[in-house]
Amino acid sequence: MRTLRNYVKSLFLWELFMGLRVTGRYLFARKVTLMYPEEKTPQSPRFRGLHALRRYPNGEERCIACKLCEAVCPALAITIESEPRADGTRRTTRYDIDLFKCIFCGFCEESCPVDSIVETRIYEYHYENRGEQIIHKEQLLANGDRYEAQLAADRAQEARYR
Amino acid sequence: MTQSEQTATGGRAAALTPASRKAIDLWVAKYPREQRQSAVLSALTIAQEQNGGWLTTELMDAVADYLGMPRVSVYEVASFYSMLDTRPVGRHKVSICNNISCMLCGGDEIIRYVERKLGIRLGDTTPDGRITLKVEEECLAACAGAPMMTVDGHYHEHLTPEKVDAILDALE
Amino acid sequence: MSAKPEIHDDQVTVEIDGVAYRARKGEMIIRVADAAGVVIPRFCYHPKLPVAANCRMCLVEVERAPKPLPACATPVTDGMKVFTRSPRAIAAQKAVMEFLLINHPLDCPICDQGGECELQDLSLGFGSSVSRFAEKKRVVADHDLGPLIATDMTRCIHCTRCIRFLEVIAGQKELGGIGRGEHMRIDTYVERAIGSEMSGNVIDVCPVGALTSKPFRFTARAWELREYAAVAPHDSMGSHIALHTRGGRVMRVVPREEESINEVWISDRDRYSYQGLYAADRLTAPMVRRGDRLEPVEWDVALEAVADGLRRAVTEGGPDAIGVLVSPTATLEELYLLNRLVRGLGSSNIDHRLRQTDFRNQEQAPAFPSLGLPIEALERVDAALLVGSNVRHEQPIAAHRLRKAALAGAKVLFVNPLDFEFHFPVAERIVADPAGMVRAVAGIAKALGAGGAGDTPAARDFLKEIRPAPAERAIAQALREGERASVLLGALAAAHPDYSLLRALAMRIAAAAGATFGELPEAANSAGAWIAGAVPHRDAGAVPVLPAGRDARAMIESPPQALVLFNVEPEFDCHDAAAARRAAHASAFTVVMGSYGSEAAREYADVLLPVAAFAETSGTFVNAEGRWQGFRGAATPPGEARPGWKVLRVLGNLLGLPGFDYADSAQVCDELRAKAGGLTAEWRGEPGDIDIVESARVTGLFRIGEAPIYRTDPLVRRASALQKTELARDAVCRIAPKEAARLGLADAARVEVMQGEAHAVLPLVVDERVPEGCAWIPAATPGSAALGPSIGPVSLRVAP
Repeated sequence: MRTLRNYVKSLFLWELFMGLRVTGRYLFARKVTLMYPEEKTPQSPRFRGLHALRRYPNGEERCIACKLCEAVCPALAITIESEPRADGTRRTTRYDIDLFKCIFCGFCEESCPVDSIVETRIYEYHYENRGEQIIHKEQLLANGDRYEAQLAADRAQEARYR
Repeated sequence: MTQSEQTATGGRAAALTPASRKAIDLWVAKYPREQRQSAVLSALTIAQEQNGGWLTTELMDAVADYLGMPRVSVYEVASFYSMLDTRPVGRHKVSICNNISCMLCGGDEIIRYVERKLGIRLGDTTPDGRITLKVEEECLAACAGAPMMTVDGHYHEHLTPEKVDAILDALE
Repeated sequence: MSAKPEIHDDQVTVEIDGVAYRARKGEMIIRVADAAGVVIPRFCYHPKLPVAANCRMCLVEVERAPKPLPACATPVTDGMKVFTRSPRAIAAQKAVMEFLLINHPLDCPICDQGGECELQDLSLGFGSSVSRFAEKKRVVADHDLGPLIATDMTRCIHCTRCIRFLEVIAGQKELGGIGRGEHMRIDTYVERAIGSEMSGNVIDVCPVGALTSKPFRFTARAWELREYAAVAPHDSMGSHIALHTRGGRVMRVVPREEESINEVWISDRDRYSYQGLYAADRLTAPMVRRGDRLEPVEWDVALEAVADGLRRAVTEGGPDAIGVLVSPTATLEELYLLNRLVRGLGSSNIDHRLRQTDFRNQEQAPAFPSLGLPIEALERVDAALLVGSNVRHEQPIAAHRLRKAALAGAKVLFVNPLDFEFHFPVAERIVADPAGMVRAVAGIAKALGAGGAGDTPAARDFLKEIRPAPAERAIAQALREGERASVLLGALAAAHPDYSLLRALAMRIAAAAGATFGELPEAANSAGAWIAGAVPHRDAGAVPVLPAGRDARAMIESPPQALVLFNVEPEFDCHDAAAARRAAHASAFTVVMGSYGSEAAREYADVLLPVAAFAETSGTFVNAEGRWQGFRGAATPPGEARPGWKVLRVLGNLLGLPGFDYADSAQVCDELRAKAGGLTAEWRGEPGDIDIVESARVTGLFRIGEAPIYRTDPLVRRASALQKTELARDAVCRIAPKEAARLGLADAARVEVMQGEAHAVLPLVVDERVPEGCAWIPAATPGSAALGPSIGPVSLRVAP
């Protein structure tokens, strides 16, 4: 009985038509393939990309050198050095992130008591020389300045879940 | 402690007048010899009188050196008691009770009224140096006569704005 | 646990959380609980401070008590039942915690105490996660407590530990609770720095971040520090400290508990001197003089140069042509290897007694200078005579023990060339010029019956003329009456022109009064230097060397052809600053082995060898009790600097000396221990054969110069925060009012100080603490670096 059924199926190319049915369905279905880099996927406000250090609206850097991010970082990617600034406040003199070590887990962001270290939605970056993967405080602050509007909006949107 | 023991009756004690020292000695005599510091409260009161109602740092140091106690301990006492002033005061000290009985009987309004009348806040002195309003005066043990205040140590009870006007206007 | 036969009358049985413990009657619950390992939360209670019971955090439930009771202030009674974790106790503790947190700021991320904060720890257990307090928190203005202590007074929870520490332990009540109720604040009232030499301990006792270390401020967090046990490198107490390092760099120093030495305290000098490790003039590479310039070279080149220079000196001038001056803060290993190096070259010219001038009778000296009793026993003496000692600044920990004794009724007695201030009652003090000091000590000896028939002829002769003054009789009587009496010689006695005489007389006093005799060795390893043989007349293990080599003074007065300075800065560390500096210039080949290359050193050095400083090398210190205390290196030496024992080992090999093949510093120490391990302080010559001859009396003005507390060695001289304190002021010249009138200097603001060719211009202060005939001019300061003998003749005139 089984032998007979298999014979008929192969005679009429049953499997081929079954496959072509899937092809046919996707031929008319909504397209999901994106033409990167012209097209990009939508991003969550929780996206964890390139790091940035934020400032307060008055231009003061947020980071207070509490070193919680350094302590929590599972990949030991963050290096901080600190001292009292001239005005007596606690500030970093060095804030380095080794992006080769970083696993983009977002713990640093989570641990920050002042929302200073954040991860932006940026994921397209490259290095031309060895050593450039360690990004410094100035670069991080520049990132923050550049994407502040987006960062602030994302954090406002997420505020009620935190 | 030992530092001051060595400088007992030395150091800055000279800032006390002979009359003040004599008055302090009376108090010192009431306590055991090794506990001269027990006389600190009386000594500060005497020193305050000598200086027209308030204590300068020099006077507090003088009391400390005279009684042989650490200067900081004298500052502690002087800053604790509300009857001791460490800032210049006016000719009259007015203390209006703000504790519970007086508060329930309208002490708050009396305080606000006096502040408005004199144009100063609690803790300040009128520009003409006439009246000092003492800050945060706690219960003066005259709840039966609430609201009440003291003027230079004299009790005035059952206060009303009119009564306050009469008392304060009579002050020189 | 009920009726055991060994229960004494003064013992009671208490039950804590259902377990019975035996305790002394009257002991506080918290002490019994601590001993039993039962945790009771607390803030204001500190085992070394009097009980204040004002934080209320240690409330516990006691059976039949109507309310929870503070465990720190409730004595135990027989049959008492204490519950530390009952619902009622926990509720009380939680309520107290809520009150404490009302005004405490939530600034843990920027607080240096974060991570090691008692409030933070306890709030985790007893705090609520949400505050019910919606009103404004109070803010307290900070005040400047000087360069050592940073304040954030808003964080203060008014436990008053700092007040009690300063009052009870430091003996200088400089902080108080000013104001009342919500306005209360811990303050000095009059803006001023805390001047105690033990002030840094308030940082440790503060349970929150209100008082923190200023030099350490914001530079590291508690969790990123590695802790290394070490021994304090300045005074001879050998306080136990912990070095906290981060990335090979010492970030701060904190005390380690050692009940028999420093209890839980350390002096500010031990706490803050680590800053000197990172001074700008640290030597980072070996340097050799080529023509007029010092050029950085490789280690092998520099070591060859040293070996060549030493060899040349020996061939040209014989073994006596080399000499070594070594700092008494060097490790035992370094001292021993230097000793072996010098003796290996046939010389005995090695000395560490840089501030000493009188070396007569050094053969009769004990095996090493020591207290003569354990440090702990200092607080149990009934009478103590200190000769020539500002003990408070020389040995703060010893002074703390003496203070305890004095407060308990002991008579502390002084014979001093200056009327120093002490933080304890002084029963009797004699302030006299150096010659007067000798007379006074002789008077005390005489009053005790020395110089009798049994004494040596010289002593009998000397003491015959002495008539004890009343003060001397009083001191003698106090010593005789004291059941546990002690006679101690301080740093100013060691630097005295008649030191040997003072020692001979002091030993007689001790013997006659039944007291112990001891010395307060000046530096961390003064005792070790004797043991390691860094003295010209004895080899390691106190083996006599004949003939003795040249002592420090002889080497300075007639410099050897090749001079090695090991961590010594002649212009600061020697008795005669000007002569020492001249000697460094005059010797044809000067080797500076040390951690620093000061400008002065760059002028006279022919070779500079960078040696690892304290905290960067392993080693051993011998403290004033004769206790050997080893430590490991904790920090990385900068640049090319290497541990001293390694440098000396290679040097020994280059010079072809046998037995310089050590694998580690422990091997060096073991070798020395085999030679000298059995050495005890009791080993000393016969006191009877001491020849008593007084040196020539000086007419005219006499300079008295001690090394101030923060100028004693190269490391502390570079500790920047300590150098900003009141105690580190530059030299001034102080004379008595009568002396000023006699010299016509009453109105002078500045005087020219002259000692032979050496001279300096210093501010003049008229000071009643200086005896007549003396001028108090501290040594080891920039202002006095150009002057001559720190204790010696001097003349003054109005500065032009």
